[in-house]
Amino acid sequence: MSKRILIVAFILVLSQLAMASGTGEDFFRATGKIYVVFAVIISIFAGLIFFLFRLDRRISRIEKQINPS
Amino acid sequence: MSVLKQYWWKTLGALLVLYSLVAGLLLPLKPGIIETSPSIGVVDTTMDISIRGYNSHYLSSGDNRVWLKLSNEFMILASAVRPLSETNLIATFQIPPFLPVPEQSADCSIVLDNSIDGPAVKPTALFLRQKENNVDMGFAYWKKDQIQNLHTSKGVRFPFRGILEETIRNTYYHVPMWFGMIFLFLGSLVYSIKFLRGNDPHGAEKTTALNMAGLLFGILGLLTGMIWAKFTWNSFWSMDVKQNMAAIATLIYLAYFMLRSAIEDEDKRDKVTSAYNIFAFITLIPLLFIIPRMTDSLHPGNGGNPAFGGEDLDNTMRLVFYPAVLGWTLIGFWLADLYFRTEQIKLRVLTLINDNQ
Repeated sequence: MSKRILIVAFILVLSQLAMASGTGEDFFRATGKIYVVFAVIISIFAGLIFFLFRLDRRISRIEKQINPS
Repeated sequence: MSVLKQYWWKTLGALLVLYSLVAGLLLPLKPGIIETSPSIGVVDTTMDISIRGYNSHYLSSGDNRVWLKLSNEFMILASAVRPLSETNLIATFQIPPFLPVPEQSADCSIVLDNSIDGPAVKPTALFLRQKENNVDMGFAYWKKDQIQNLHTSKGVRFPFRGILEETIRNTYYHVPMWFGMIFLFLGSLVYSIKFLRGNDPHGAEKTTALNMAGLLFGILGLLTGMIWAKFTWNSFWSMDVKQNMAAIATLIYLAYFMLRSAIEDEDKRDKVTSAYNIFAFITLIPLLFIIPRMTDSLHPGNGGNPAFGGEDLDNTMRLVFYPAVLGWTLIGFWLADLYFRTEQIKLRVLTLINDNQ
């Protein structure tokens, strides 16, 4: 549960950083809005990592059952 | 089974995604016009219109020509063109005293052409007004010049689209999420039918695994779409019909997992969720393929227009887009495969432990 709160906090901090970095939305609109593409690719990557984490947790649980010590 | 047989499609998926990332990010955009000002003018004046270009070479190509285009028939050529820099240019137009239309006003687009960049268009760039109309005189003024001898743009480049600009590249990352999701859900439909017909004893678990990967792609599709929409349509969520229908579709598959966790008895759970999955896919078809085409939508290829084409997806983009769709679909099946195998190992371990006790 605390991990989830951490993840949400991390995302909030990231978005705040992006918005409050003095440039705000203009940052994303600069150089032909290329940073929007950047944000999209980052979020897809984050989604894949999220899936990997969940899979990792499932495998850990199985390992614990095989090796309870 | 050889290693290649097991891994070739996963490698292919990874390579195709890698290709779509490299080609989709490195190829430049065609030159285009970002903005022009002023946007309102009156007849019988001399107007200086400043043009801001993107990826353009106004200074180094000395042969810029600019037209004010009212329709395919009516246009005037700029009397003087003064490039200030590679991306800034001032075009001077002698606006004739009459427009060739009976209305009080007309929308003109601006067409710019030079030998390095090729042609670029800014639609509805200038709104022209006239107090009194004289169509015959207007005809004479606006018929003199013609757009001809346009250069062709060189090199392999993606199209420049007004509000999209560089974000046209998101076509290779946002759209394949939805294509991948559809293919994954199609796969889960096949397995749930196989399971219910008794052809595949592991069908229910395969359905769950494919739905898991499909749901991930669906949520990523929504998320990436929202980011893209914020900087092109100016709002994360503009109640666009396709956005709403995609959200409903995602919720339907979310409900699949809630249903699965709600039923205790394994046999019953597998049967009920497999049956639910068939209905879920059937509702997906009107939600994603029929309703968005019946009303207006901000998405291209909707509102009566069955497929996207033209400048939204030209032949250069197809060379990146279709490999990206195939690549992400393969990655999705890979994720589902990993999930399914983990679940199988878990069941196997549980039975082994129970047998030992």
